[in-house]
Formats: sequence, structure tokens, C-alpha cells
Amino acid sequence: MRVSYEWLSTMVDLPDDPQDLVAEFVRTGTEVEAVDRLGVDFDHIVTGRVLAKEAHPNSDHLWVCRVDVGAQNVGEDGEPEPLQIVCGAQNFEAGDHVVVSMVGATLPDGTTIKKSKLRGVESCGMNCSERELGLGSNHAGIMILPEDAPVGVPFAQWYGIADTVLDCEITPNRPDCLSMLGMATEVGAILDEDVRVELPRVEREQGPDAHDLVEVEIDDPGICQRYCARVVRNVKVGPSPEWLARRVTAAGARPISNVVDVTNYVMFLTGQPLHAFDLGKLSERDGRRHVVVRAARDGERVVTLDGQERVCTPDVGLITDDRDRPVALAGVMGGQNSEIDETTCDVLLESARFDAGHTSRTSRSLDLMSEASIRFERGVDATRCRDVADIAAALFEECCGAEVCPGVVDVYPEQPEAPVIALRADRVRALAGAPIADAEMERFLARLGCGLSAREGGWDVVPPTSRPDLVREVDLIEEVVRLWGMDRVEATLPAARNHAGGLTVDQQRVRRISEVLRACGLNEAQTYNFARPGDLDLVGMSERGRGVPVEIINPLFAEQSQMRRSILPGLLRSVAYNQAHGTRDIALYEIGRVFFGHAHASQPDEPSYVSAVMAGGRGDAGWDVPEREVDFFDAKFVVEELLRSLRVEKVRFRPADPEEYGWLQPGRAAEVYSGARLLGWVGNVHPATLARLDVEGDVVAFELAEEPLLRLAQRELPYREVPTLPGSEVDLAIIVDEDVTCETLVQRITSAGGRLLDSVRLFDVYRDEERVGSGRKSMAFSLTYRAADRTLTSEEVERAHAKVVRKVCQATGGEVRGA
Amino acid sequence: MAVVEELQGIEAEALAGIAGAGSLEELDRIRVAVTGRKGSLTKVLRSMGSLAPEERPVVGKRANEVRAAVEAALEARRTELSQAALEARIAADAVDVTLPGRGLSQGTLHLVTQIKQEMEDVFCGLGYTVEDGPFVETTWYNFTALNAPEDHPSRSARDTFYVVDNAPEGKEAHVQGESDVLLRTQTSGVQVHVMERQKPPIYMISPGTVFRPDTADANHLPQFNQVEGLVVDEGITFGDLKGTLDYFCREIFGADRATRYRPHFFPFTEPSCEVDVSCNICHGAGCRFCKGTGWLEILGCGMVDPNVFEYCGIDAERYTGFAFGIGVERVAALRYDLPDLRMLMTGDMRFLRQF
Repeated sequence: MRVSYEWLSTMVDLPDDPQDLVAEFVRTGTEVEAVDRLGVDFDHIVTGRVLAKEAHPNSDHLWVCRVDVGAQNVGEDGEPEPLQIVCGAQNFEAGDHVVVSMVGATLPDGTTIKKSKLRGVESCGMNCSERELGLGSNHAGIMILPEDAPVGVPFAQWYGIADTVLDCEITPNRPDCLSMLGMATEVGAILDEDVRVELPRVEREQGPDAHDLVEVEIDDPGICQRYCARVVRNVKVGPSPEWLARRVTAAGARPISNVVDVTNYVMFLTGQPLHAFDLGKLSERDGRRHVVVRAARDGERVVTLDGQERVCTPDVGLITDDRDRPVALAGVMGGQNSEIDETTCDVLLESARFDAGHTSRTSRSLDLMSEASIRFERGVDATRCRDVADIAAALFEECCGAEVCPGVVDVYPEQPEAPVIALRADRVRALAGAPIADAEMERFLARLGCGLSAREGGWDVVPPTSRPDLVREVDLIEEVVRLWGMDRVEATLPAARNHAGGLTVDQQRVRRISEVLRACGLNEAQTYNFARPGDLDLVGMSERGRGVPVEIINPLFAEQSQMRRSILPGLLRSVAYNQAHGTRDIALYEIGRVFFGHAHASQPDEPSYVSAVMAGGRGDAGWDVPEREVDFFDAKFVVEELLRSLRVEKVRFRPADPEEYGWLQPGRAAEVYSGARLLGWVGNVHPATLARLDVEGDVVAFELAEEPLLRLAQRELPYREVPTLPGSEVDLAIIVDEDVTCETLVQRITSAGGRLLDSVRLFDVYRDEERVGSGRKSMAFSLTYRAADRTLTSEEVERAHAKVVRKVCQATGGEVRGA
Repeated sequence: MAVVEELQGIEAEALAGIAGAGSLEELDRIRVAVTGRKGSLTKVLRSMGSLAPEERPVVGKRANEVRAAVEAALEARRTELSQAALEARIAADAVDVTLPGRGLSQGTLHLVTQIKQEMEDVFCGLGYTVEDGPFVETTWYNFTALNAPEDHPSRSARDTFYVVDNAPEGKEAHVQGESDVLLRTQTSGVQVHVMERQKPPIYMISPGTVFRPDTADANHLPQFNQVEGLVVDEGITFGDLKGTLDYFCREIFGADRATRYRPHFFPFTEPSCEVDVSCNICHGAGCRFCKGTGWLEILGCGMVDPNVFEYCGIDAERYTGFAFGIGVERVAALRYDLPDLRMLMTGDMRFLRQF
């Protein structure tokens, strides 16, 4: 909403500096997006009077004039000196008062006036037309000022153009502020000033009654709650008077013609959009024009004022004439077939209340917004349609020379009842937490146009009809608080009695997971929760266990048209992104949701997963440590550290079935279990998957479901005595077939070692065809024997170890290396 | 007394040798040569028996003095030499301390998570709980129960991602377009869930990911994060809202930052306002960063609208409350003056490792 300071100041006393009003607007909730100062660039543009006009010696259409600009131009003697100006306009005579752009002036279109020679005659300025001054469309000749206009004063000062326009953003709950009258009321309340408004009245009604000329029918009250029609006859379509053009311009519209400008002016003044139909273009039956408001039929077409053909759907509201021909889109835009033009004689003036929601659907359905639709969408005051029609009729009479027909065709099926709101003064103070006095509340609400009658502890309040947002007590409280001043309310902290907060155990554990992963050198990433259709296929994941995809109806791109069912594709794309940008060593993790949809339910399951990828060097390489590429065991170590830190027990890694884990490299892939519960997987991403995602080199990855991690995590494990007695370390290198796993060997050793075996640690795996044999490997363990109550003798240790060797060899077909 | 003179000579020679010894090995050779089993002093002591009885006490005393002197000198020299050896070893061991350290460097927490956790910690300190809910929501929780009118523009497909509703009965009567299931555009729906299942007092925040159909550019992401808060209790005032958010802003933005409350409109709250913090670049004087206003808009908030309480089955006469929401990415962008929000989503190690 563009608010002209000059216009507003005719209705309410304003501070001299518009910035002071801006500050008050900000304080009370009207956002000012821009402050435009009009006319400030009109330097060197002054009023003048043509002293003489002579034909140009070298031209048959130019004139050489001497123009008096008073003291604006002085000669060497310091005395006022008229300017010589060469002018091409034909609409002036000597003695006329004109507007002169002197040398140095810059016109709104950017033209700078310089001293020049036109066909050999010197010209020291220019006489301006309205269009050249940016004041209107008239370019038929130069602007002729009234005879009483002073000579030699800045034009902006005389014309009153030095105006400031505040461009205000109006929140959707305040349709009243989309009008100058509403703004005046708001400003009156903010500044605690009286508002004075003089509205034009029709001088004389003449001719036939509107009811004899027009019939209105509201076919669908869901579209239109009130429709007032007035008729004015014999309009003289032409340019608007300058005051009208000026105000319409300041409000942001382009002056078009007096008829159109009047409707726009009244809309800016009252917030009520009007439409002027050329009465003669509406079809006639029984001597009357018929206007029908109804829903459009699917596919019905209207050419709107902007020349566009609009194809309607049934949620579009239409105005049609009797032949069922659409003549306007209800509340949005008029039709070309009933448009005002130079030949228009009689006008049907529409002042209606189109439904807010319906107008919004019409506007959205056709992707068409207008000053009218913006206002109807937010709610127009139905009780005032008729008054506004009268204001417009009066202006047609004044500005267009129209004859106003008596009578208003007014279809108003259901008049709303004015709400009465009980307001409790104590409730205001309690909600605000501020000592606002009763008298202040009363004053604020009265300034806003509310009717108040006192009652026990408060008032019965009747809000003005222009404020559809005021229906409940809390709506009034808001008004009081914002006018009293939110900044004045003392800041306090609530006591929060009987309430305890803080992170839950699970929330703390999720943070712990994140900490451990970071301690292991992984960096947290956040990737899109969207997915491309076919992402699972792309990486080689089966859909089994991952539900159906959640499909977005209105995606931005096909690549983001589903919700992800795995985090891995996103992280692999981040690997490719890093590599494409020259980063080789990559270690990323993400803790996020995936979306497993159901075939017959609205909402999906949204389990969280802990996902990680590692590629390139391990990240611990240095100037004296050789670079090492990450491999399976780096990823596995992170998983082990994570589970150990969460105190998840009975952790096992089992080879992953290549059939099931198509995205992992067979032989370098494992399922992660705690007991019988599957937690996730770890492994090398399959080279074929990497190739499809343009990833270079190896990538190791893991994905663990968050829910079982949180469930199986433990706050503590039982304390174990720190050994006080020395243990005995014995090494055991055992040669076994390749298919005997480390896990098997450790299990055998542990069970054979009995109580005296304190710990087993693998420290070497060795393969050598000659020394170990093909298809065999040597696994070297360090075994520590210890008793809690005594130092073991060497005999005891030897005996126990011999038993281990014997049993393990027996069970695994192994032999002790070097034995 | 030739023996005494001999002892004199041994002592002089030994002490000179010890003083001149350049290494522990050389010192040890001298020790062996003097006090060793076949050493010169040992030899003298062994020959004591062949001396005249009256000479023995004199020579014996002298010999013991010499031995004590030699041993003392040996010990002193040994200490000196080992000190020197240690010093030499240390000197040889010196490194260029500006060479980089060695080890696996820790990973980093995503900038957005860091800020989210900071906010969580501030509110946990005030006794709030941290709540979350589904990302794929229904229009009821995302809009209707939050008092958003049926025709509210935020419900349109331009401002909300809708998803296909697979429920058999979900094929009819959708408020907006084809579906009543959507990607949540705000985390406020979590507040409705909490109010439905929990009686006041409620002090909670709901941090989390939300979605809006904005094409990703320097200032927008279709997926971003919000932290929203809700308090419902007896006697909660607008002053409590201010006190809480003033505290929050000081904790997150710095103790020297001022706040400003501008009345505004949100369907969910009434009275509603927007909160600005003073610009950290110009401290309120007005600069390019704050578009000349001296203030940066960072929060939306207000007193919970009674309609919302009604939707959630809470007595709006007995309880009042406030709610607020803040964009995490916006705080990140303000704190670091990030030129492009898209960097938050690429997983670029060069970006992530900075925070």
C-alpha cells in the first residue's frame, strides 16, 4: 500500500518529518518497505509566464519565446532576466503561465536540459508537458497553468508535488489499511490525533432510476455477498483533473482517463474496489441491462482488460450479462467486451463485496492478481458498498461531467450482525504483563473506531465494520498492547513451576554417537532428504524392507520428487562432489531420517540412520607417516568404537550375503549384529555402484539403524577389578586354512584357555606359499594368562597353554607355526 | 719413603688422567688402571705386607687418602661426563617444533547442527524439553490446528510440498489440491502433537528439518531447519515472552546485542510480533548488512492464539502461552556472513572442516 503523505495529511495531522511517522509505524506493526520522495528531483523546474511568442526564422512549427521566470534567472546586473526558449508546442499564447525546465534540470525520464541551439536559435530551457514532468499522460501540448499561478517559484512547491510516499507492507489481517481512510484511522490511533474526512456528495440526481435501467442477480451467494449498482449517464471521457491524476499516481496507478481514475481513486480512498462497465455494451432485455454473478463453467473463456484470454475452471467467479456472456472476472478484472473507451456514454458502476476465499481461488486458478483481487481476498467491508458507490457517483459528476441517475440497485441477501465483544481490563493486563490503565485502553479502542459501553470490569466493544480481524477479546487485547507499546512491556522470565526439562537419554545418546564419529575423524554432512526415483536401483539396493517411496506431488525437479529411502546415495554424491572439486580424502557422516512409505497409509515410517562414507587417505598421514588408503577395517573400526562407546554388547560381524547386499563389494562386506539383532552393515561400496555415481577409487561405508543403537546402548557396565598381579604373555602363531575365521580361532582359544586366560589379541596375519602353504594363513595371537589371587607359576602357564594349543589345533585343523 | 712418593705419583697421574678423560669409556680405563684388580694403587696396597711395620700406618693412611681422592675424582668426572653425554644426546635429538603434529584429526559437527545444539542448550538451561515429530505431516497438524485459514496462501502448492496420500479413504475432500499429506513447512506441528498428549505446564522447543518449494539459491534452500518453541502455563504473559527471547538472543548473538519487538501478524499467535536484534556490524547505526535499518530480523513470535488451544483441547481461559520460531540457517548465515546457503548441503569437506 502506497501512502501519500500529502493525501494523508489532509485527513490527520502528521509530524513534519515523515521518518517520525515511519518510526511510529514500525512501533505499532506497520512495516514500511520504502520511503519514496516525489518531486525532490524537480530542481531547476520553475513556474513562468510567456512574455512574447514569435515565429522561428528557420522553421514553420517552432516558436521563439521570451519567458519570465522571475528571480529564478538573473542577468549580470543581478536583475531578473527572462529566458529565451525555443518551443515546438502549438497550444499556448503570450501571457500563458507555463512550467519551465531551466538549464541544469533533469526530467523524470532522465533527460537533462542544456543550453542549445535549435535551427540556429539559442534556447535556454524547455516548456514542459504533463508527460514530460511525469504527471500524467497528456502530451498534446505544454502544461498551461492557471492565470493566478505565481511566476518564478519552484514548480514542485507551487504544485504541491513535493510529496513523500510510504510504501507499507500490510499484513493479511488488516484489509482496512489497504485504504487511505483506514490508514488515517490507524495513524490517528497511533498518534492520538483526530481524523477529519470530507467525502464528496452527489449534487444532483437526474434521469431515470437505476432500477429501471439495471437488474442484478446473485446466482451464487458464495461468490458475492452484496452487489450495488449505480448508473451515471453522459460521461465525458477525457483526462483527469490534475489533483486526481496526482493522487492516483502517488498511490501507484497510472492515470488513464477520468472514468477509470475515479474508480481507482475511490478504491485507494476507501479500500472498496469498483468496476465501471460501459452500460451500452451490456445486452438489453425488456429495456434493462442484466448483471448476473455466477460460477464459471469449465472451459468458459473471457478476454480480460489486459488483452489476455482466460480459460475458466468452475472455481472462478464471473459477472455475466443477460446473454450469459462473461463481462468480468468477479473481483479480479473486467472484461474487454464491456470496457470503458472514448465513446462510452453511460456507465454502470459496480460496488460489490466478493467473497474473500472465492476471490482468492479465482485469482489463484487463473494466476492473475490485481489491486482489486488483493483487497477482496482480504475482505471488503460489505456494509459500505453503497456509500462507496455514492462517493464514486459524486466524483463522476464532478470530474466526468456525468448525470447521476437516482437509485441504487442493491442486492444484499444477508446483512451480517455487528459483533459485540466483551473485553475485560484485567485480562488485558494479565496477558500483556503490563500495567495498562483502563483509560488508555478506552482511548486506543475509540481511536480505532470501536464503540464502547462500560460493563463490570471492562466494556462491551463493537468494532468498526472495516475491521473483520476484530472478533474476539484477544483481538482487542492485541490492539491495546501494540498501541500501548510492546517495547514498554517489562521483560520477565516465567517461573516454570513443576516443570523439569533437558535432553532425554536418547537425545543425549544421539549426541554421543555424533561425538564418537567425530573423534574417529568423520565430519558431519547434511544432504537432501529428497531422492531421485531409481536412486536405490542406481546404488544397487533392493527395495525390500524399505517400503514404497513417498512421492512428492509438486516437486521442484524430477531429481527431488521422492523422499529418500537410504542416506547412502546422497553421501556418495557428496564424495563425487568432493572429488570433482579436488578433495581426495573424504570422511563424512550423516544422522538423518529415511522414509519408508506404506501402500495403504498416509504417512510413512521415518526411521533415523547413522550413515558414513570414507574415501582416499585415512587422514593420519603426515610428513613422516606414509599415506594409507582407507579400507574395510577403517570403517569397521569406527563401527566398533561407536558400539563400544555406547556399551552395546555381543557385537558380531558376519559376512554379508552378496545377493542381499548388492551395493557392497562381495568379500568386503559385513552385517553388524548385537546378539541376534541386526544393526546395519559395513563394507566397501561395490565398484560398479561407484562407477555409476562417478566416484573414483575405493569407498568404505556403513549404515546403522538408530533405533536399535539407542535401545541396546547402556548407561553403564559392571566394574571389573583392575589386575594387581602380573600376567604372563605367551605368543601363539597357528597355521590354519583360509576359511577358518579370526572369530572362530578366538572363540576356540577363549574356551580352551579357561579361567586362567585373561585376554587374547591378534597381532599378525601372515601368508606365504612356501613357508605357510597355499590356501593357508598364519594367525599370531598374544595370550595373557593371569589369576586374580596369585602369581601363576611357569608350570601352570605352560600347562594351560599346552591345552589351548592342543584343543585349538584339534578343532581347526591348524598347526603351531615353528613347532 | 719411596712408597709414599710412589703413591704421590699415582695420585697425580690418576687425577690428571681423570681430568683429561673425554668419555665414560676412557674414565673407566683409568679406573681399571688405578683401582682395578691389577691397578697401580691396588698393587701398592697389596704390597703393604712387605713394608716395615713402622712405615705401614703412614703408607696405609696415605694410600687410603689417594684411593678416596681418586674415587671422588672418578665419580665427579663421571657425573660431568654423563651430563655432557645427556646434553649431547638432547642436542642431537632436537626437532623443528614447527613441523606439524601427527595423529588422526577429529571431525567436525555441521554448522547447522552446532547452532541447533547451542539453541537446544540455551532452552534446556531454562528447563525446556526438546521434542520432534514426523517430517511427513498432515494438513491438520501443519496448518489447521495452527489456525491457518483454509485459503491461507501458505497452504498452496507454491509454498508447500504435498505428497501422494496412499490411504484408501484419503482420496476425497482434500482442503488443498490433491492431498492432505505434506512435507512439514514448519515444526509447529510438533507443538500440536505435544499439546494433544501432554497437559500443561509445557516448556518445549522443536528443532528440526522443514521443507518449502523454494528453488535452491544463495538465500534459499528447499530443505532447511527451524527451532520453534512453545510455553503453556498458568499466568504466562507477553512480558514472559520478551524475557525469554531477550535471554535467548543475548546467549546466541552476544550480550551486547539489543532486541526490538515489532507487532506483526501470524495465524498461530495473537498478539504476534517479529523480533529484531541490533546489527552486529554497525551496532544499530545502519549499514549495508542490515539494509540501513540497524536491525536484523531473526524471530517470529507471539502469544498462542486461543483457537490453537481449543484445537488442542487446552482451556484457554486457565492457560496462556507463547510461541516463537527461528531459522537456523539464517542465524548461521548472519554469524558467518555466508555468501551462499547451498554450501550447507553439498558435503564439501573444505566447507565442513571450517566449523
